[in-house]
Amino acid sequence: MLNFDWLAGVSADTAKYIFYILFLLIAILVLLIPNSYIFLGLPQDQRHWWKNLKLWSILVLMCLAMVYYIF
Amino acid sequence: MLTGIDYFVVVAYLLGILILGFYFKRYVGSTEDYFLGGKSLPFWAIAMSIVVSDIGAMDFVGVSGQAYRYGISVGNFDWIGSVPAMLLAAFIFVPYFWRAGLYTIPEYLGRRYNRHVRTLASLTWILFFAVNLGVLFWASAALLNVLMGWPIWTSIFVTAGVVGLYTYFGGITAVVMTDVVQFIIMFVGGLALVFLSFHAVGGWDALVEKIYAKGPEYANHFNLIQPSTTSTPFPWTGILFGLTFVMANAYMIGNQSIVQRCLTAKDEWNAKASMILGAGLKMLIPVLVLFPGLIAIVLHPELEDGDQAFPLMIKSILPPGLIGLMFAAFFAGLMSSVDSCLNSTATLFTKDIYEPFFKKDATDQHYLKVGRMTTIVLLITGVLTAPLSDFFPGIYVAIQTFLSFFQGPVFAILLLGIFWPGATSMGGLFGLVIGIGFATTLNIFQSSIFTIQDPFLYVSWWSFVLAFVICIVVSLFTKKYKLEELDGLVFRKISSSPNTP
Repeated sequence: MLNFDWLAGVSADTAKYIFYILFLLIAILVLLIPNSYIFLGLPQDQRHWWKNLKLWSILVLMCLAMVYYIF
Repeated sequence: MLTGIDYFVVVAYLLGILILGFYFKRYVGSTEDYFLGGKSLPFWAIAMSIVVSDIGAMDFVGVSGQAYRYGISVGNFDWIGSVPAMLLAAFIFVPYFWRAGLYTIPEYLGRRYNRHVRTLASLTWILFFAVNLGVLFWASAALLNVLMGWPIWTSIFVTAGVVGLYTYFGGITAVVMTDVVQFIIMFVGGLALVFLSFHAVGGWDALVEKIYAKGPEYANHFNLIQPSTTSTPFPWTGILFGLTFVMANAYMIGNQSIVQRCLTAKDEWNAKASMILGAGLKMLIPVLVLFPGLIAIVLHPELEDGDQAFPLMIKSILPPGLIGLMFAAFFAGLMSSVDSCLNSTATLFTKDIYEPFFKKDATDQHYLKVGRMTTIVLLITGVLTAPLSDFFPGIYVAIQTFLSFFQGPVFAILLLGIFWPGATSMGGLFGLVIGIGFATTLNIFQSSIFTIQDPFLYVSWWSFVLAFVICIVVSLFTKKYKLEELDGLVFRKISSSPNTP
């Protein structure tokens, strides 16, 4: 059990889909965070769309998914 | 091996770093300035500092060597092994740590659980950083000796002198801002090698074609996801459970030298943004350290030891001037690791050990002096103990293994501490101690328990699981905290502390 023998039947291709699902799950969780929490610390007049950290996170996750798609 | 222009590049770099680091002395007037940069630093500087601290001089060689042996799957450590953990840290942990006005991670554990947990976690990190410092000095200097022909003690004294001066006077502000320059030097030097290496091998398509043509043992060299039955240390099960779920989170959330940088942010948004930008930048690291190892398979196919790949690539690919820049990049890697060790250990000792156990209620200037003295004592100890590594060649691996004993259990109690108000003082202590004991046992009997080489990913996962379960079980039967005692320490119980804007 400690060697994860019970997952030996899962192929590397299927494992890749598990990784994609993880990325998607993280992206959904990030999108669910309220904007008020994302911008906490910034004054109201500086809360521009490009400072929305959800966008930054989604961009990073898309790059990550692309790397796993290519390799 | 170095020419005149190479020496010029290296000396200019060292002098520049020294002057820059020394400049920040003027901003240090209190312990908050020294340990937390006066909570004034911007996200972009912290992000670069996080990335550059994570990669040392030896990582260039070690990761290239693993890429030479196992292929691209070693890149998992900087991709899936960093990005999800850094996002979790950015949105959940860092804002709470920043808002609580913490200096150290053990300080959070102390507030959330008890002072025994705080002291145990702090002493563990202090011991790790202190021993690691000497090893870091020696191993990196030995590497620079092989690569560039510099005498070992010259490299050690130059590094200790430059880093010691700016860390002693400028504190973490100097550490972070010099890291920004080190980041740029490292990327310029590293990218120059990658670009010229690709040119030498005929481009990406030629590289892939030539490696696949070497035979079936190279069939998985361009697959990030390795089957669970692989004999390499990177089966997908280990990458997902051990690395992504435990080790990466433990490193990004429980490592003092990483989190302390986020605590220097000027506001909560900058603290979060630093981690997210850091995640983006970290994705570029494999380009620097992994591709030279892959290209060496084609250009230097007969190497007995993969760790020779990177030094050989430098010697065979880079022209004069760029060798000096690469040498500066090695120094940058070494110095960023040493300054992190020094400042983090000084913070841990001053705040978690000296203040509660030796002298409570002293003036802030007294603690500032203690922080600076700790930095100097550590530096001298690191230099003096550096040659010990020569007598114990396996010490570097031993230290990394020692650290891996703590990663899973510490992350388990951090996770429960922030998400579950029911986690109790005794639950945290038992979870930590039993989890560490279990990880140690698994390591001792690893050859009879595990089937993969170097099963640290599996050890981390299973010790995390056990510590998690023990903490829950013990917490269910021991005295709970009142909800008001957990204000600001548990997710969704936000404190209106003075740090909240």
